[in-house]
Amino acid sequence: MDRRTFVRGSAAAVGAATLPHVPAQAQSAPDKLRFGYAVTMSGPLAPGADSTTISAYKLWQKRVNDAGGIMLKKYNKKVPIEYVSYDDQGKPDELLKLTERLIQQDKVDMVLSPYASHMNLASAPIINKAEYPVIMTTATTNKTYEQGPRWPYAFWNIAQPKASSGALSTALAELKKQGKIKGRVATVHPTVEYGVENNEAFLAAAKADGIEVVFTKSYPLGAADLQPLIREAMATNPDAFLAFSYPPDTFMLTEQMQIVGFNPSVMYVAIGGVFPTYKAKFGSKINGILVYGPADASGTGMDEFAKAHQGMFNRAYEAGTVNVYSALQITQEAIETVGEIDRKKIRDVIASGTFKTVWGDIKYVNQLNANPWAVGQWQNGELVCLFPADKAGAKPMLFPKPQWS
Amino acid sequence: MGAAVILFEVFLNGLLLGGMYGLVALGLNLQYGVARILNLSYGEFFLGGAFAAFFSIMLWKLNPLLSLFISLPIAFAINWLMYQYLMMPLIRRAPDQDGLDADVVLVTFGLLFVFQGLALVNWSGEVRGYSFLSVPVNLAGATVALNRLAAFLGACLLALVLFVVLRHTRVGGALRAITIDPLAASIVGVDVRRYSALAFAAGGALAAAAGMLVSTFISFSATTGVEYTLKALIVVIMAGVGRVTGTLAAGLLLGVVESLGGYLLDPALTIAINFSLFMLVLLLRPTGLFTRA
Repeated sequence: MDRRTFVRGSAAAVGAATLPHVPAQAQSAPDKLRFGYAVTMSGPLAPGADSTTISAYKLWQKRVNDAGGIMLKKYNKKVPIEYVSYDDQGKPDELLKLTERLIQQDKVDMVLSPYASHMNLASAPIINKAEYPVIMTTATTNKTYEQGPRWPYAFWNIAQPKASSGALSTALAELKKQGKIKGRVATVHPTVEYGVENNEAFLAAAKADGIEVVFTKSYPLGAADLQPLIREAMATNPDAFLAFSYPPDTFMLTEQMQIVGFNPSVMYVAIGGVFPTYKAKFGSKINGILVYGPADASGTGMDEFAKAHQGMFNRAYEAGTVNVYSALQITQEAIETVGEIDRKKIRDVIASGTFKTVWGDIKYVNQLNANPWAVGQWQNGELVCLFPADKAGAKPMLFPKPQWS
Repeated sequence: MGAAVILFEVFLNGLLLGGMYGLVALGLNLQYGVARILNLSYGEFFLGGAFAAFFSIMLWKLNPLLSLFISLPIAFAINWLMYQYLMMPLIRRAPDQDGLDADVVLVTFGLLFVFQGLALVNWSGEVRGYSFLSVPVNLAGATVALNRLAAFLGACLLALVLFVVLRHTRVGGALRAITIDPLAASIVGVDVRRYSALAFAAGGALAAAAGMLVSTFISFSATTGVEYTLKALIVVIMAGVGRVTGTLAAGLLLGVVESLGGYLLDPALTIAINFSLFMLVLLLRPTGLFTRA
């Protein structure tokens, strides 16, 4: 045997000896699960993204890792969560690049939802093409009705315009039927997609329900004075005033309605109405105001959630964070049910299961959350959930809205 | 309520709104007009004043006006340091005012993000607001909010003080000399660097004062500062660089036109109306409404 043959032979022997180990290594559990997200961390949308979405991601990671991680039953091992995160700067094109990067280059195990309707919509085709199941947590737009079913890997967690604005119309029709209101409604909204779509959805529902809309006008986002608009609405003497508003105008309308002493029997404000800072600013004056996208503080696991949130961020949770957190719980449960990262199977579990979450029981029909909390109300300092009225935990409406105290 | 009274109320509200616009712009005009530094991070000092007021009432249960004792000196000091150590090197190497403007815009644009990032990290991104003087006041049958009225009076007072200082004091004379021609001012013995730093720092302090007053009726968050830089910039350009009373007047004009236009045409058009007015001024009087030809 010459030296060359010997070397070859030994190499083959070593190779043969190590061969049986190769499949065994593939069988061993990953030492971490890598979740990727691109969320807005700079620019005008950054504050909302931080308080609604990123805080939920951080809290979930901490709580899951403190408990040992996500259980992968295929390996009978708990595996901690690690994040790969990027700032999409609020730009859809940036988000697309970063989502591609998370999937192609970073090869993350799972992808989490970006922030804001248009960003959620923008990322849906990408994650769908790569077959990454993602529960989109901050998209409320009519486009989900038409385009949602095209993307089987994208799920939509919050109340869409027809659901949230339709619920208001149904409630007003009921009050009218009981003879408690005449059914005259004034609506206002900022000229942004959310405001326009929700206003349109409400107008359509009101028409079907026999509710008379006596006033409907829009204002630019960032308007510095809404008192003239309130005066105009007030002059039409409505018994309900609905604002499909954004946070700055939610705050401003609430303040300026008090200044001019406009106190309709039913008052609704949209985004920002559930914020702890809204309650902090107005105190008991918000009693009876209807708001968009509530969470039920008495729901399963909410005490622990609230405590953990306070402990981690030193501030009260915002209802939107509960929705994002519920999506993370569902993702975790689906992974644990499948027992490994098999995204096709995880997708199927999410699509067909019913999940117990901090945001109530959630089930998706055509990837749309079948019954998300849409409308809540401030009642004696507490945020309660009203609609959908048939959902477990729904409370009756406080009517009429009390005087501005 | 009669239509005439409502129209009067809309006009009054426009006046108060205009006072706010003028107030927001006063400090920027001092920075740009006298110190010749177009400070894009101006709104962050406005925001600093707002946050100081917010914390003093919500955390420490103090009258938000007291926050001025903290926010004014801090804003003054930071702006003074900014001028001395960040702007001076740029001024020294700049070939002319145009070259300086380009450098300054880039540096202060970067500073904007530094301050914004610090605000986000320290104060989180939540929308903030508090209730202060949020009560109606009856003025000849029309209703206005006391906090907006207070901000308006604050704007008038600050503009008046600034006017008196600029017109009737030795420092003011030096500042006006620099506004007109820095080179000539230095030839007649004005310490241009010292007075420019003073004007720049005072402008930053005015921003904080404006932020305090405006925060009593408008909610804000860590990233809203830049909106106020833009608002201020529009008012300054309309008024004419370096015009103090003109700044207030231009603000009032914007406010009243916005309010009446929004009410009589459509509230959705308020911002469009504002910018139309702005463009009109740019076309007809490109150096500003209140600049002597």
